[in-house]
Amino acid sequence: MNEMKKSLTEDEERILTAIAERIFPATDTPGAVDAGAVDYILIALGGAYASQLPFYRSGLRAINRRAREMFGGGFAALSDAQQNSILSEFEAGTVPNWKKAAEFFETLRYHVLEGVFCEPQYGGNKDMTGWRLVDFPGQQFGYADAYINKRVDLEPVAVDDSEGEGK
Amino acid sequence: MSRAEPIADVCIVGVGGLGGIMAKELASAGLKVVGFERGPAPKRQDYAPRDSIRYLVRSDQLDWVRYEPTTTRKKAGEAARWQFRTSPLNVLGGALLHWTGQVSRYMPDDFKLYTNEILSGNAERAGADLSGYDIIDWPLSYDDLEPYYERFEWEFGVSGKAGKNPFAGPRKRGYPLPPLRHSARMLLFKEACEKLGYHPYYTPAGILSEPYRPPAPFDTRIPERPACVYCGHCNFYGCHVHAKAATLYTAIPVAVETGNFDLRTNSKVFRINSDGRGEVTGVSYFDPAGQIHEQSARVIILSAFVFEHVRLLLLSKTDRFAKKGLANSSGYVGRNILAHGDVRAMGAFDDFIINGFIGPGSAAMRIDDFNGNNFDHTGVGFIRGGTIGSSGDGTPVTRLDVLPPGVRGWGKEFKEFYCRYYTRTMDLNMQPETLPHKNNRVDLDPRARDRWGLPLPRVTFDFHQNERRLQKFMASVGEKIMRATGASRVWTEEKGRPNRWAGGTRMGADPKDSVVNEFCQTHDVPNLFIVGSSVFPTMSGYPPTATVAALCYRAAEFVLGQKHWFK
Repeated sequence: MNEMKKSLTEDEERILTAIAERIFPATDTPGAVDAGAVDYILIALGGAYASQLPFYRSGLRAINRRAREMFGGGFAALSDAQQNSILSEFEAGTVPNWKKAAEFFETLRYHVLEGVFCEPQYGGNKDMTGWRLVDFPGQQFGYADAYINKRVDLEPVAVDDSEGEGK
Repeated sequence: MSRAEPIADVCIVGVGGLGGIMAKELASAGLKVVGFERGPAPKRQDYAPRDSIRYLVRSDQLDWVRYEPTTTRKKAGEAARWQFRTSPLNVLGGALLHWTGQVSRYMPDDFKLYTNEILSGNAERAGADLSGYDIIDWPLSYDDLEPYYERFEWEFGVSGKAGKNPFAGPRKRGYPLPPLRHSARMLLFKEACEKLGYHPYYTPAGILSEPYRPPAPFDTRIPERPACVYCGHCNFYGCHVHAKAATLYTAIPVAVETGNFDLRTNSKVFRINSDGRGEVTGVSYFDPAGQIHEQSARVIILSAFVFEHVRLLLLSKTDRFAKKGLANSSGYVGRNILAHGDVRAMGAFDDFIINGFIGPGSAAMRIDDFNGNNFDHTGVGFIRGGTIGSSGDGTPVTRLDVLPPGVRGWGKEFKEFYCRYYTRTMDLNMQPETLPHKNNRVDLDPRARDRWGLPLPRVTFDFHQNERRLQKFMASVGEKIMRATGASRVWTEEKGRPNRWAGGTRMGADPKDSVVNEFCQTHDVPNLFIVGSSVFPTMSGYPPTATVAALCYRAAEFVLGQKHWFK
């Protein structure tokens, strides 16, 4: 991957990281942060999703503001349950004074999950963590078997476009 | 600066699926053909890398999707919003590069809606409310198209099994290739439908089940292609082995090989020029550097998809003989646009692993028991129907919303569900027909402009009473079938999503209420033709591709028959 362009401040990144972990938490298996979802988003905000950067900034600010109002602390410092209750409010769009809460939550949810399950060349899904979690073997050239009612036991494959076989 | 080129026999505007077929047919017969494609010629590495972020998640950022946006709204009076669409695909080879590959012929009944639904009294028996709709018969029949369906199937290579669908029209030949390999989705669907007394059959697929080259008497110049490898990165992706039926590696190379086809990519036609006597004389276009040129031609063929057809005709109006737009004396250019209103039924299985990411989306089974007029509509409150097929392909980033009601889309609950069930869900896709409605149309956006300063096509489209009832009904049938598969949890999406556009320059017998005749020739302008789904006066539950291709072969034959035009 190319050098990462810093798109968010450290504070903003800390809030984003906490949100990502709530959207796809580490349990007995890795979560969004382990899978590199935050890196995926930072890279995208410096490139393909750059036009959404102002929306991200105001959304992260709104989440932090709500954290202070409700629990007297920054979002990243709250307990899991407190963070979940704030995100639920955003999901439902019931946050006072911010009409775009539901839209922001939906955007974040997609982006975090993209970061978990994307092709690894986009900076997320590190070591194909996300794919392994759901038993998806990646960018296979093809399948010699239809795997009807059986687990696909192939080692996942990632193809790097930049030196892709398509050439 | 403007430069005039020597006169061509034929100008083709849009070298995609149909423009490619047209170019091959006409150039092979010795006509001098110039083809304009507003997009680039893609290289294999541009479209093959099985990358779901690029081709699905961020498809609105692909150059060839961004070239030509439309604006969209549900009804007149609303503000229209910009929309980037993956159809048309503005690239050489067009949407056949990334299509699913479902190749159904229409049923004989699909061509005669006015006769079979209204005159017959069927609509009345059904208790359907058809106010606002504008239904006519096609000016041709299934039998007229049968030989051309066959040519498409044998030139492009279709996998399937004839004789299994009791509702299909008669055919002289079977499919050139056996069906694609069985998948879990197909087997579960087949068993469930048989249990319910329905008639499942293999979805005819424009994906090769075996290596293929057309045999004689079909076009043996089309190169051999390999069989599908079941990578599963299919719908919305280019095929990395060329097993998918696409003109880019079938018809277009043959057309180029004739030496009669002058292909100009990155060249955008913005106006069709006409004389004062009612004929078109050529086109004006931007070359890749943005310079304006003119190309004169004896015949012009538009094959640039629904939205662009309407836009070009409206932009080409003249002070005298085409005041309302070219070929628009009827006022029907832009009217009665159509799109399926797809609905889905989903199932999650505790005891069965589906692995839906394996194989192409068109490796499917389907029933027509609820398509067209194949079932008793007495008292149901709507006419027509739709196809129902097994579906549910996609990589993990594309199925994040396949969640049963009550399962939250994030957090521990989502993670548990998705990690267990990503490989254990399947969908049924229902494609309910949409009837032509007077409020559904394309015109020129009064404000929004493209990069060349031309007004964007503005799409005004919504589903109306017949569609809403039919969509709900189709979702309920889907739910019943999904329950019969043995799925542990079943849920549906019963509000239609517009998909597969058609209409806007409809075909009809009467020049007063249609734009083209049965040969895709405009009623007003004898040397102007329009090929594509825009000519459909009504649609069917099936995807349009086989039918647009058949109409295109037939139109090509008609053009070649007008020998006096090319002396």
